[in-house]
Amino acid sequence: MSERSERLMKRRPSTVSRRLPLVWLALHRRRRMLFGLLLGMVVFETLIVVITSTVPPGELFGARRTPPGAFKAFSGSNGDVSIASYPGLLGAGLTHPFWIALQLTVIGSLGAAAVAADVESGTIELLMTRPLSRRRLLAERTGALVAASVLLSAAATLTIALGVAASPALRAAVPEGGVFVAGLMGCALAFSLTGPVLAVSAFTRRRAYVIGAAVAFGAVGFALNFVALAWSPAAPLRYVSPFHYYTPGDVLAHGGVPWASFGVLMAVGAVGLLAAFRLLERRDLAI
Amino acid sequence: MPSSTPVIELRSLTKRYGATVGIDRLDVTVAAGEVFGLLGPNGAGKTTTLRCLVGLLQPSDGQVRVLGLDPVADHRRLAPSVGYLPGELRLYPELTGQQTLDLLAALQGAPVPRQRELCDRLTLTRADLGRAVGEYSRGMKQKLGLVQSLQHRPEVVVLDEPTEGLDPLVQETFFELLAEETAAGRTVLLSSHVLPEVQRTCGRVAIVRQGRLVTVRSVAELRQARARRVRLVLADGRGARPLGAAERWSPRWDGPRVELLVPPDEVVAAVRAMLAELPVADLTVEEAGLDEAFLDLYRNSDPEDRP
Repeated sequence: MSERSERLMKRRPSTVSRRLPLVWLALHRRRRMLFGLLLGMVVFETLIVVITSTVPPGELFGARRTPPGAFKAFSGSNGDVSIASYPGLLGAGLTHPFWIALQLTVIGSLGAAAVAADVESGTIELLMTRPLSRRRLLAERTGALVAASVLLSAAATLTIALGVAASPALRAAVPEGGVFVAGLMGCALAFSLTGPVLAVSAFTRRRAYVIGAAVAFGAVGFALNFVALAWSPAAPLRYVSPFHYYTPGDVLAHGGVPWASFGVLMAVGAVGLLAAFRLLERRDLAI
Repeated sequence: MPSSTPVIELRSLTKRYGATVGIDRLDVTVAAGEVFGLLGPNGAGKTTTLRCLVGLLQPSDGQVRVLGLDPVADHRRLAPSVGYLPGELRLYPELTGQQTLDLLAALQGAPVPRQRELCDRLTLTRADLGRAVGEYSRGMKQKLGLVQSLQHRPEVVVLDEPTEGLDPLVQETFFELLAEETAAGRTVLLSSHVLPEVQRTCGRVAIVRQGRLVTVRSVAELRQARARRVRLVLADGRGARPLGAAERWSPRWDGPRVELLVPPDEVVAAVRAMLAELPVADLTVEEAGLDEAFLDLYRNSDPEDRP
């Protein structure tokens, strides 16, 4: 090797993170998708804020009328917050199927990439023949997923926060800090889905199963909560849905962190994550 | 020069996938400094064996030791000393060649003193390394695979079908690299179904069939034991005919020409007998290739028998 090429080699900065190479890998490979999702989230929440601040709720449902109970599922409330209110409308922007779809895209995509996709494609052979423990593999991949998910929730929260700050009517209806608590609850909901999805990824060797599981947890969870609110005989079902514990409408109306709900969501995520670590320790890493 | 210290030890290694047996009670020992070949057709269990060796698969039964360590339980202690080239090399198509090498070096957590030298010798230019791996040909990917497996100077090198996709010139460079590894006292275990590759590089060979060990022999022994190819041209111009006792050597007729594979210790007697009985116009005797020795062993082994 020539002296010059050796010098060049030493000087060449590596684009790969040496401290967290697997976090870098997960985020670098999906950077365009993540950028698109962030942009989509900002545009969507901007629309929600603009619509909310320009349309008086009274014109939507008429004065002194309350919407059916099932509508609470769309406003992110278990209590008295109607969708025909400013907090209810803003809450709708954080429980809307579009918001859920964006979150599930991140969780499904990065959850599948955590283990299953590498096993299916065979790239795990290159990674796991390095001095890398299975725990570190999953920890870094979890870190990447949580970071992407938090970023998405932060984009939604900041957009709404700016909208609320800019509109006197919204500022008057939403307590200070309510928007950020709603963002925190959004992160907790995402984590409650992330844990079980990672467990599926650690167990299976097909990325399609992981994406399917993410969609099932999200869609079935939302549907259960909706049915439970709409049909009283099915009311007990709401407790098994993560959306029962995710109530941005209530938070935006009253402020304060609902610690019990927050705890349930975080505990579900933690149990899923624990299962993922245990399942990964025991499995074969090649087909 | 290989020492007697075992670097790789497989004792009754068994890997089952549900009801299917991938490998069945495999016993192999590889000494330090040895180049050892694992030979067998596709599906014989070579890749499964190598995956157990590098800790990707947990054995169902039996024991694996590499440098005295368990590849699964002691993975983090063992992995810095092992270089591995998978048989079906899969890379991240979005990463460039350089990013791929940097990523794997970062995960290795150790310096990669040979990266530049190996890229130069395997003709991976800077322009090549700057392109996305998804645009690489099969041969280019294989070159990148070889670089990543050797760039950290591992003590033990495990290569699964290493010359797949390499052009003849690069294959030559690969054989040189392998010779240098051996000269430096490193241990190499490679799997292949390409016999000349094994003949050229390995000191000893394990032949596997349907997950079971057929035999472990030195390449020299295999060569010595292999049959001689006896070719006769008959003067009467007639074609195939019964050859009596010589029928046991599976004669292959082509008009007046016949070819037989005769065990080395029976060649003289066989030639005498055929000269006495047949109108021989021409006769040649030559060593059969390793292919024939391999196929001979294969034909004569029963996968149900323990070696």
